[in-house]
Amino acid sequence: MVLDLTMSLAVLSLMGVLATIAGALEDLESDVGSQSNPNSQVQLAPQMSFLHRIYNKAISGEPVSNGFSAVVSGIVTVVLLDSNVYAITSIAIGALVGALILGIFATTSFAGRVSSMTRFKQPLYMDIMRYTTPTIIAHNFIMNFCLVALAYIQYAILGHPFSIPFLALIWGIAAGAVGSSVGDVHYGAERQFQNSEFGAGLNTSLSGQIVRKAESGLRNSIDNVWFCAKFGGPATGIGLGLTVVLSNWPTTVIGYNWTAVLVGFGIVVLMAIIHRIVEVNIRNAYGPYKDHNGKEEAAA
Amino acid sequence: MADESLIKRNKLIIIAVVSGLSGIYLSPYFPALAAIGAIVAVVWGADAIRRVAAYGLGTGVPSIGQLALGMGIVASMFGLAIVGSVPLAGPVVALVTASVFGLITGLFAQHVIKMNIPVMISGMTEIAAAGSLIIVGFGSAAAGSYVFGTFVQNIFSSGIVLVIFWMGAMSILHPFNATLGPDEKQKRTLFLAVSTGAVTMTIIGVAATMILGSAGIITMVIGIVLWLVFYKKFWDEVYKDAASVVGTGLIPKTEA
Amino acid sequence: MAEFLLLDPSMLMNVLLIAISGTLICIGVHFVPVGGAPAAMAQATGIGTGTVELAAGSGLVGLVTASYMYANVPDASMALVLAAGAMGSMILIASAMLLGGLVYAYGVGVPFASAQVKRDPITGDTQEDYMSKGTQGHGIPTVSYVSGLIGAALGGTGGSLIYFVLIGLYSGVSSAVISSNAAAIAGMFAMGVYYVNAVIPSYGVGGTIEGFHDRKFKRVLPKDTLTSFIISLIAGILAILIAGGM
Repeated sequence: MVLDLTMSLAVLSLMGVLATIAGALEDLESDVGSQSNPNSQVQLAPQMSFLHRIYNKAISGEPVSNGFSAVVSGIVTVVLLDSNVYAITSIAIGALVGALILGIFATTSFAGRVSSMTRFKQPLYMDIMRYTTPTIIAHNFIMNFCLVALAYIQYAILGHPFSIPFLALIWGIAAGAVGSSVGDVHYGAERQFQNSEFGAGLNTSLSGQIVRKAESGLRNSIDNVWFCAKFGGPATGIGLGLTVVLSNWPTTVIGYNWTAVLVGFGIVVLMAIIHRIVEVNIRNAYGPYKDHNGKEEAAA
Repeated sequence: MADESLIKRNKLIIIAVVSGLSGIYLSPYFPALAAIGAIVAVVWGADAIRRVAAYGLGTGVPSIGQLALGMGIVASMFGLAIVGSVPLAGPVVALVTASVFGLITGLFAQHVIKMNIPVMISGMTEIAAAGSLIIVGFGSAAAGSYVFGTFVQNIFSSGIVLVIFWMGAMSILHPFNATLGPDEKQKRTLFLAVSTGAVTMTIIGVAATMILGSAGIITMVIGIVLWLVFYKKFWDEVYKDAASVVGTGLIPKTEA
Repeated sequence: MAEFLLLDPSMLMNVLLIAISGTLICIGVHFVPVGGAPAAMAQATGIGTGTVELAAGSGLVGLVTASYMYANVPDASMALVLAAGAMGSMILIASAMLLGGLVYAYGVGVPFASAQVKRDPITGDTQEDYMSKGTQGHGIPTVSYVSGLIGAALGGTGGSLIYFVLIGLYSGVSSAVISSNAAAIAGMFAMGVYYVNAVIPSYGVGGTIEGFHDRKFKRVLPKDTLTSFIISLIAGILAILIAGGM
């Protein structure tokens, strides 16, 4: 389908919005279940005699599990589209099926991991299982919906040569890759170790000693997502949204030629410069941990 | 870990290869059988991953599942395509090609990259072979045929092959990854493998309704039943093995 | 059939191109600064994720942009498609590292520091003083950022090269089944080969690497590259014979 520039940009911004929501929800979903890299601490804690009430969703790395739920959603959507169901209904049902399947995998990994650490006496809390799994499914549903809608737009409106499940899978993997590089840090380095001093990386000797008490009562995974929704989740959303918009914007506006590709590289250089500015700013703002004589500063 | 195994490795290989291949050959008549054969291959693959990954790969367990299916997809398509006018040989050639591919990868991983995992070479061969059986098995369950032309036409254009690729990888990597820990038991892991394989079968059944109509529904229903049975069995093992399963409660006192 | 004899120079060229693209992916993975789980705890330098995951995420986005470029430009030149792939891949990794850096800077409150070098080879900033106690560095210093961009460019180029070679081959064959599904088959194979070549180096580096300034880089690169080259060569032969098999 050939679109004029205004419509192309409208479609592109819709894709950007979908990706932003998907990215944010992807990260929050992984935080609810303590997936991916921060999971290592949840896994380690019982060994250090730090028993906890946190979900242990060790499905796999985020790209794998999100690609998985997105591709299942994609194929169910294709099946429904094939039997002439409206696109939006197909996508919604497809996303629900994908999310439910992910939910099943989540329960087995929580139960499996806990029952494989019998010697550390970690109990399997069924109330955590019952109210966290639906939260995971709900977050994942929104992500699937956005990603399959994104894939549908690329396939049906923009005429991409790949099929809907293929595009959904790739965007699921990309969402997971961005989510585990951006949002996980906020959960792993800050929320899990909130009782250690702010502004320091995790001292290796503190590994596994995660925070187990909440603002009130014992901390559970819902408390974690409440915290991460304030920064880690939205940051991931912006990361994925930027990826989708910026990787398509040059070709949409300039056309499919070398100029567009060079503009794309220019954007990359610009981002590198912004990164450098951030680096210089925080070095100046925080200062070194040691002064020049190698002495630890009082605060650190 | 390996000492208390319930199913011996060689026995499992024979069962998986025989049932996987016979399922594929019966797929034109009853596609669901190919998916059941593929579930047996999933169990084999999961057990092979269990043996290799127990040594620690340096990166996550999932990587090896992806490697298996990555090698499996190229080798399987080659196997089905190269036989040309004798399609009957296709699945066997696919299996052999995948095994050789896995063997070479294993040799390089062990001797060039120097991963120092004693079972790496045999494990990699088994994983790639299981990957090939999974792809051809689930693929022919969805396409209703293992002949290259029909196979490609049916599962590539709609993207079903992506589901087979990704869910197949998930179903062999998830069982060991999800039960990783010092008290992992083969029985629980393999029950979980059947359960994840059955989930894959269910989705393949849904996808197959596009191509095969009611045969896809049969695959889906059998998949759901198998899943219910083995999901329950997995939970029985969890209740038996876990330190304690409690409705709710405070954190028990420990020395720390 | 005769035209698909492997000894045909153009076919040999195609096999070689696939082997090279697999090698490019493998080299690219070494450049991507991943710290694995320790990095997610601000305990080690790099991006807080796994080697395979990030490489695959960026490489596949490159595949999306490259295939769309190929579909939209009649008789697209190889360089243009590869550049489009590299661009998509670099944009993913650039925005992931930029936003990841913001989280380290303002969510965790740590300056970026590397444990492998005394001074950042690009900016010359001292690293040791900015390293928190008990850690192996944290965040993404400029040298790692640049290294990540190089890695993504190589990975994106490699992934699109497989796609470019295979789709050119498959869409030209006489078999209707293959030529009408050329994009799907070429895309699927590109992904399969991509994954194989992303996993192999991740075993070599053992899950974490800081970038090209890491001591590990020189140690593991040759053997991983050799492995990837041979494995991709086999995959290339298999993928090309498929076109002639029908």
